[in-house]
Amino acid sequence: MLKKNLLFAGKNLIRMFLLLFAVSIATFALVAVSPIDPLQANVGQAALGSMSEEQKEKLRSYWGADTPPVERYVNWAKAALRGDFGTSLLYRQPVMNVIGVKLANSLFLMGLAWVISGLLGFVLGVIAGVYKGRWPDRLIKGYSLVIASTPAFWLALLLLLFFGVWLKVLPIGLSVPIGVEAAGVTFFQRVRHAILPALTLSITGISNITLHTREKMIEIMDSDYVLFARARGEKTGKIIFHHGLRNVLLPAMTLQFASISEIIGGSVLVEQVFSYPGLGQAAVAAGTGSDVPLLMGITLITAAMVFLGNFAANLLYGAVDPRIRRGGGKV
Amino acid sequence: MRQRKWMALLCAGMMAVSTLGMTVTAAAEDGEKTAEEQKREVVVTMPPSSEPASGFDPAYGWGAGEHVHEPLIQSTLVRTNTELEIENDLAAEYGCSEDGLTWTVKIRDDVVFTDGEPLTAQDVAFTYNNCRDNSSVNDFTMLKEAVAVDETTVEFHMNEPYSIWPYTMAIVGIVPEHAYDETYGLNPIGSGRYIMKQWDRGQQVIFEANPDYYGEAPKIQKLTVLFMEEDAALAAALSGTADVAHTAAAYSDMAVDGYSLMQVETVDNRGFNLPATEAVADEENGVVYGNDLTADVRVRRAINLAIDREEMINNVLNGYGTIAYSVCDKMPWYSENAVSAYDLEAAKALMEEAGWAEGDDGIRTKDGEKAELTFLFSNGDSVRQALAEDVANQLRELGIDCSTEGVGWDTAYDRAQSEPLIWGWGAHTPMELYNIYHSAEDTGLAQYSPYANETVDGYMDQALKSSDLEESYELWKKAQWDGETGITQEGDIPWIWLCNVDHLYFVRDGLKVAEQKLHPHGHGWSIVNNVDEWEWE
Repeated sequence: MLKKNLLFAGKNLIRMFLLLFAVSIATFALVAVSPIDPLQANVGQAALGSMSEEQKEKLRSYWGADTPPVERYVNWAKAALRGDFGTSLLYRQPVMNVIGVKLANSLFLMGLAWVISGLLGFVLGVIAGVYKGRWPDRLIKGYSLVIASTPAFWLALLLLLFFGVWLKVLPIGLSVPIGVEAAGVTFFQRVRHAILPALTLSITGISNITLHTREKMIEIMDSDYVLFARARGEKTGKIIFHHGLRNVLLPAMTLQFASISEIIGGSVLVEQVFSYPGLGQAAVAAGTGSDVPLLMGITLITAAMVFLGNFAANLLYGAVDPRIRRGGGKV
Repeated sequence: MRQRKWMALLCAGMMAVSTLGMTVTAAAEDGEKTAEEQKREVVVTMPPSSEPASGFDPAYGWGAGEHVHEPLIQSTLVRTNTELEIENDLAAEYGCSEDGLTWTVKIRDDVVFTDGEPLTAQDVAFTYNNCRDNSSVNDFTMLKEAVAVDETTVEFHMNEPYSIWPYTMAIVGIVPEHAYDETYGLNPIGSGRYIMKQWDRGQQVIFEANPDYYGEAPKIQKLTVLFMEEDAALAAALSGTADVAHTAAAYSDMAVDGYSLMQVETVDNRGFNLPATEAVADEENGVVYGNDLTADVRVRRAINLAIDREEMINNVLNGYGTIAYSVCDKMPWYSENAVSAYDLEAAKALMEEAGWAEGDDGIRTKDGEKAELTFLFSNGDSVRQALAEDVANQLRELGIDCSTEGVGWDTAYDRAQSEPLIWGWGAHTPMELYNIYHSAEDTGLAQYSPYANETVDGYMDQALKSSDLEESYELWKKAQWDGETGITQEGDIPWIWLCNVDHLYFVRDGLKVAEQKLHPHGHGWSIVNNVDEWEWE
């Protein structure tokens, strides 16, 4: 049994490694063919105008514009294998330090949003499914469809205006209070600053999981075994609990773990609106600024996060449904 | 049935709890501050691009680059006053040798860094040599070596004469040699008016007044700079979070309770180039150099006369701008001869003279060729786009068929070799004149738009070689117009200047922002150049 588990873990580790390798090549190739000139992207037209040709040469070699892409990739990959992800060209700090700081901010925000949208979406989906066609369903379905077509940044602006400007009960942005030294910042203040961005992400993240769960729930409520349960006189609550939840949990979980990538994507715009310094903003800066080491670092980290998310879903399947437990197929 | 109702209630309740419950917990954020304390603090917003990515290190562009400003944390050898003339700061006196190759600076002996160590000539030499070796956006290629002769004297040995060196000395903050390493940018130590207390990357920087500052003690004790987009900055003003919030002309008619709009004049100019040579395609890189229409100086003069700048500023900038006649309006090296007046009839006459006759559709032709121009602007810059549209509209009156096109910076520089592009300039150094109008050695043409005039080149070369800054101003002026030739309306006019864009801020009532020097290009740190002199009423 232990051997089997180790083999399973090993296989997945190799898979992840191959995935990261492929992602790194793809990212690098895309950067190499992108028309962005690192000098023009980072220095700005007015500064470039008061610079001598010699100085420009110096900068070109700093941004690596004079090294062939394949050579750059090989150099980067060699160092990365040793665990050295290089120094960010924009921030002039080790890539892992930069990512560490941003990730800490983002994880807090995204984790909060992920849990809230997952739980809320699931509950709403179940309710809508059970009350198919009646007003709770119509309400929830309508809400989901409206939200699904709402741009996240627009909603963010709306919330900001309502809570930050009009009611003045929540901060208009940033992850820490203005003008307060780090030592004086409490956990409560951090949470307060994460509320609006997390709320935006949760509200917009709900619809997907709600609509899918609803569909599955309807299917279950129409099934023969639910009909049989009803015939036996079971109450709706019990039916949902005994027959519904278990069956609807699997697809919901798959969706929830797959949505990690969406939350990462969605956070970019929301962070922008709330001036919240997360991974999303750093990724945009690295991409448009041709900061190759930082971009590679962020891409790999997020790819690994998505992979681990799906991997976790795989493991949880076994816990939720013994029928697909590895090696335990015969119950 | 009862159960269903219960479920529905639960659903509604959950939603309410999730949204409201989180907000109810909000309470007062900071501990209450006394009114006296608040009177000595100020919160200012800036665009996110103002945040120095590589930290507060002068070698990596702190103080210089796209946006020139005083480094606050460090002190500089000299500084610019509101007229943009040079004044002493750390320097007690300075001078340049006859051949322009050696600058000697004597510094004050009573200055200490905030860690208690004295600031010596050795630190100055170290700072400049370090910049020369590692500098990113600021150009130090003219410097051969900086040498500390004794405790208070430093000599700069130059590779070539560079009369405008004081303008470089005005932005390079002096760093302590003993406390300098790769992480200096994150924990800067200097001798300036403020100490950087904390930097929350991507969000804010907190500065506190330096109690040991050698100059006049700062009146504002604490400065917090927030980095945010314009929308967020507006929200910061609306919610009363910031004392000074940057904004754009588009928001200028918003009424914000308790705030008033402050406009600051700038040299943040916009203009476009007119390629001054006949079109030739470069076989090697496929770039076209020159434009057959604008190669005729009469056409360029006609275009300059046909632009109503007043109307343009009202239309595009809501009136928040000033007319620009050159790239360096109101600077000490600006030549008054650049002024020209709007005169559409004279412009039309010039076009006739150049052989471009008006057709039935109002568009001029010559030898069967239509007069056409495409005005380029950088994608995503709404002001430049609007300016391009406005120019195109105005020049249609002249009989030129104009169109506009948005381009990215990756292709803009090449396209501008043959077509007019809307540019933005405005640094506090005459080097900009040089880079725009002086011809390059390899091509014999100016680098951004084909143009060459030996006399103009000559004056600028002379100006750089001059050992006296005042004298060099005269030469820079002559390069613009010497009575016979130059780059103005009567001269070759290879660039047309439109307007200087005012920088706009919402300022909380009661805060007195000290008089600003002309802001350079960019909406960033310049506003806090003199934050130490601001006052609350």
